[in-house]
Amino acid sequence: MATYETFQALHKTLPSFSPYVAAPFLPYIALAFLSSTFALAFYFSTLPKDTLPVRETIVALIASTLGGFGVVALFCAIGVCV
Amino acid sequence: MLQRWHILSFLLAALSAPSFSLADSSFENTAIVRTVDLGGSLVHVTTTYAVKALEPGQTVYHIALDENERHKTSWIEAKVKGQQGALRMEELAQDEDSKSHLFAVTLPKKLGVNGTINLVLDTVQTHATYPWPQSAAQKDPQSLKYESDLFIVSPYHTAVQRTKIKPSSPTVLSYTTPENVDQFTLESPVTKSGTTITYGPFHNIPSSSNAEFIGEHQQVVVVHYNFDYPVLEIKKLQRSAEISHWGSNLNIEDKIHLYNAGPTLKGHFSRLEHQSQNFYRTLGPHILASLTLYLPAGIRNTYFYDIIGNVSTSHLRTAPSVGKNARGNQFSVLEMRPRYPIMGGWNYTYTLGWDAPLEDSVGWDAANEKYIVGVPVMTVIPGTVVTEAEVKIVLPEAATDIEFISPFPALSSSISTHITYLDTTGRPAVSLEYKDLTDKHNGIIYVAYKVPLSAHLKKPLAVATAFLGVFVFALTARRVDLRLHKR
Repeated sequence: MATYETFQALHKTLPSFSPYVAAPFLPYIALAFLSSTFALAFYFSTLPKDTLPVRETIVALIASTLGGFGVVALFCAIGVCV
Repeated sequence: MLQRWHILSFLLAALSAPSFSLADSSFENTAIVRTVDLGGSLVHVTTTYAVKALEPGQTVYHIALDENERHKTSWIEAKVKGQQGALRMEELAQDEDSKSHLFAVTLPKKLGVNGTINLVLDTVQTHATYPWPQSAAQKDPQSLKYESDLFIVSPYHTAVQRTKIKPSSPTVLSYTTPENVDQFTLESPVTKSGTTITYGPFHNIPSSSNAEFIGEHQQVVVVHYNFDYPVLEIKKLQRSAEISHWGSNLNIEDKIHLYNAGPTLKGHFSRLEHQSQNFYRTLGPHILASLTLYLPAGIRNTYFYDIIGNVSTSHLRTAPSVGKNARGNQFSVLEMRPRYPIMGGWNYTYTLGWDAPLEDSVGWDAANEKYIVGVPVMTVIPGTVVTEAEVKIVLPEAATDIEFISPFPALSSSISTHITYLDTTGRPAVSLEYKDLTDKHNGIIYVAYKVPLSAHLKKPLAVATAFLGVFVFALTARRVDLRLHKR
């Protein structure tokens, strides 16, 4: 088990935390991704009903992924840092 | 008959063994000076021991505190006079007869016969003073009493000792004059010079941390003095530090139960009297109308509310973020006024929180793929004791390999699961509990943890799954014909 002084020295010398996505960009990412999700959802609703719903599935997957990241970015942008 | 004498002498030796263990001839105290700086909630005691070794190869010196003093002591540290580093101290078992507490201090180097060293023992006592009189009107001054033992106990013989008590205010209302101390001094046992009250010098004191000396010679001295500032106590502090990697944010929230431990208000609270005192700037010394807090630099989105709602009577001057490795005395200054002035005996519970950039608190260890966060135990309010404190550090979801260390021993520590927005499995939370914290307990708790990329993606994945569920439902619903009449 490391001592307190070890932790203290390590904390002082290590490089600072760096996020995957810089915080100032999050509101713009939220806007872009959620707008895209909305647009794709509309497009999804206009797709023909194929027997094997390949196009619908692909559009749904892309929209869901963008929506997932967009909602996380939205939460962070409005101050609820998740 | 002879056998009975053998048994009797053995029993006598066994009964006196604890006393012998506290009477030590390996050292002699050539001088002990104790200086007591009287405050309100906190009392700082500095004791200097001039020590001479009487036997060769000495590496451990024992310091004794009697039971009352040990009970009041929240912070204890021993150093060599003139040096910075603290010496290693270990508390030994309490003596059953005298109730004294022994501390073994490891000396920096071995002392030979007649070798000398000067040790400084710093302690901070909490809940050591009490208001006297116990109630006071709005206009009345505030007076406190402090009780202490006359003699500084030690397992070693002491050539000379004295105790100096220094109140912070020039007004000393009374102090005890010790009696029956002619054995140890030929001069006046107590003198007052300015505001400093000196008990001693007392000469040639034998080993005193035993029941015999304490029962026969020890006595209590009481100093009654004016104190010109509110006596503040935080009955309970709950600090929550939440780490967000997505938001690159550290949120710290303090729930504080503040109590004015001064004399209780005599009569009713008069707003007119209070306004008049404010106007003429003669506010009673025991009334807390405002507080200035020094918060970290770089904070934003600060909030201050109580049970009624937002408290707008505050002013914050933020300092720009300084980064994790920067040294400096940059603080954000918060001048806060509670919703009402806090009279003696009154309570005020409020919540104070802020966001700070995560870069200022967390480091990344690329070699071990670990993050290390440093979270301060509390925001120090000078001169205030924190009776109970709980610090909870909420780590990102799916954090693993958690290690944590506290700057001073905690009463208890645990890891639990905390559930908040967009969580699926919950977040690990490290909780530490403390009691009787003082200005000296201004330390940082370090927590090391790992968060792999897959853990970071948990949240977007959870939300994406919810969206996908909606799309799958839509996909199915489009293909279900609910018409009543088929064409």
